[in-house]
Amino acid sequence: MALAVMLLNGASFHGGCCRHKVLLSLLGPLLSNSKLYSSYRRPGAEPEKKLSWQNADFSFKKGIDHLKTQLNLLKKEAQEYLQGPGGHPVSQCFLEQTRVLWQFRSQEDLNKWVLSSDVEIGGKSKVYIKLGRNNQAALLYGTLNTDVPRDGETKYSGYCSMRSRPAVGSFNRKKYYDWSNFNSLYLRVRGDGRPWMVNIYTDPYFSHQKDDLYSYFMFTRGGPYWEEIKIPFSKFFLSSRGRVQDNQHPVWLDKASFLTLGFTIGDKVDGPFQLEIDFIGLLNDRAHREEFAYEPYDKNTPV
Amino acid sequence: TISSNHWILAWAGLEINTLAVLPLISKSHHPRAVEAATKYFLVQAAASALLLFSSMTNAWHTGQWDITQLTNSTSSLILTSAIAMKLGLAPFHFWFPEVLQGSPLITGLLLSTAMKFPPITLLYMTSSSLNPTLLTIMAILSTALGGWMGLNQTQIRKTLAFSSISHLGWMAIIITYYPKLALLNFYLYTLITTAVFLTLNTTKVLKLSTLMTAWTKTPALTAILMMTLLSLAGLPPLTGFLPKWLIIQELTKQEMAPAATIISLFSLLSLFFYLRLAYCSTITLPPHTTNHMKLWHTN
Repeated sequence: MALAVMLLNGASFHGGCCRHKVLLSLLGPLLSNSKLYSSYRRPGAEPEKKLSWQNADFSFKKGIDHLKTQLNLLKKEAQEYLQGPGGHPVSQCFLEQTRVLWQFRSQEDLNKWVLSSDVEIGGKSKVYIKLGRNNQAALLYGTLNTDVPRDGETKYSGYCSMRSRPAVGSFNRKKYYDWSNFNSLYLRVRGDGRPWMVNIYTDPYFSHQKDDLYSYFMFTRGGPYWEEIKIPFSKFFLSSRGRVQDNQHPVWLDKASFLTLGFTIGDKVDGPFQLEIDFIGLLNDRAHREEFAYEPYDKNTPV
Repeated sequence: TISSNHWILAWAGLEINTLAVLPLISKSHHPRAVEAATKYFLVQAAASALLLFSSMTNAWHTGQWDITQLTNSTSSLILTSAIAMKLGLAPFHFWFPEVLQGSPLITGLLLSTAMKFPPITLLYMTSSSLNPTLLTIMAILSTALGGWMGLNQTQIRKTLAFSSISHLGWMAIIITYYPKLALLNFYLYTLITTAVFLTLNTTKVLKLSTLMTAWTKTPALTAILMMTLLSLAGLPPLTGFLPKWLIIQELTKQEMAPAATIISLFSLLSLFFYLRLAYCSTITLPPHTTNHMKLWHTN
């Protein structure tokens, strides 16, 4: 393995001078730095200095350690399976009305979330996350900048978002959540009065639907007091690539795999923003009777 | 398929069955329902192709297309795997819970009962030329997997899918020795499962937590649901015990007592989740709560 890496490195060094060698022509795609279809680089992206395969670490010891961690995870999963559905006893499945999904008490909890902003498309917004005072909440803050990047094709800009990392089981397999006992999302937040969008991504079976997102709005008050916002799942509407779809359907949460929850701010107003999140949980709101908020009538009635 | 004597007609019947049920599965156009319909189509189409292949191999070797004259051993092996895919016998059972979960309750009933009838008829007609060892292994695997995988389910449709897989194991183990018993098992299973599905459809129950509050709407129906579920589990003196008893008796007569013991022991696993369903519906009384608007009815 190390020999192959050295060979490739040597070949890439010689690639600049000796182009007529047969070995080089065979290793052509590996040595060139261009992507397969186009070498256009978006304004916000860094130029790639390392070839993609050079990022892989081929050390044997690291592989064994990785295998050990994955086997430990597998053992834990087997033990959880013995306890009951979702790792909890069945009685909990019957009786639970609330469940805390994410809470922010340490740096580890912050690492479960990924930040992104319009820097990816060449914009100028900034977003940061840190633990709040006394490690009791997460503070998502930054500046929104709606200046459109001048690349000739982008029309709008100015968004920042925070998405959770999807849960993976052993050997990077998808973990399935069963949220069917609950009907609302419960958020304890303290905002600054700006409206946010809450997005749920359920990894769909078909690749055509990989841009499907279920969204709803979260209006924050901005006061010094904490808010407890309940968003029922029946209110989430379906959008794909940012466009709200005509055929709406409720989000099914009985087998949501690779689920990510995200908060996005994109209210077209330049300026700083702040959001403190204490915890994110699920609630079974017994008073909520709505199945789905959009178009509940039958569309294909017989004539 | 049931009334045909020629393999091509049987295959055509199976294909028509598959295509006819696909719109029923994806009726609500929810992505999950469409996913279930796609999975169903792919599995059934592959199984039909294997079935056609087995009948063609048999016709090549023996020169005739009669269903009851499947004498070539390779053909019967391929046919067994094709029918196992159609029915959802382990190890070809992976599609069944997902498809049932994505389809509405009545379509789930159809998939568990009516759609299993043609493949079982084909097995019945070719039972004399099937490989008993392969079927026994598949049957024991089905009962085991149906029992184990059904244990941690909170969605009732998936639980019923695993119960179906488990029962198919019982049918498959006896089909070569006493085919009429397998048919009897199938008829009784169909009857009891129909009762369960229709009860669940009346009370609009899809998951265990909703099942717990179904007694407030129809107390008598949930009490009978308990009896029906225990009958599915095979507890004497209920009807569901009869096929199990006769199958064990027949297996013992055929010098297959260890197989009979193993399959009975694996049925204990499925008894656990039947008991859990019965416990949720009737034996415990959670406080009065209503979760869904559609569950109220005033008759």
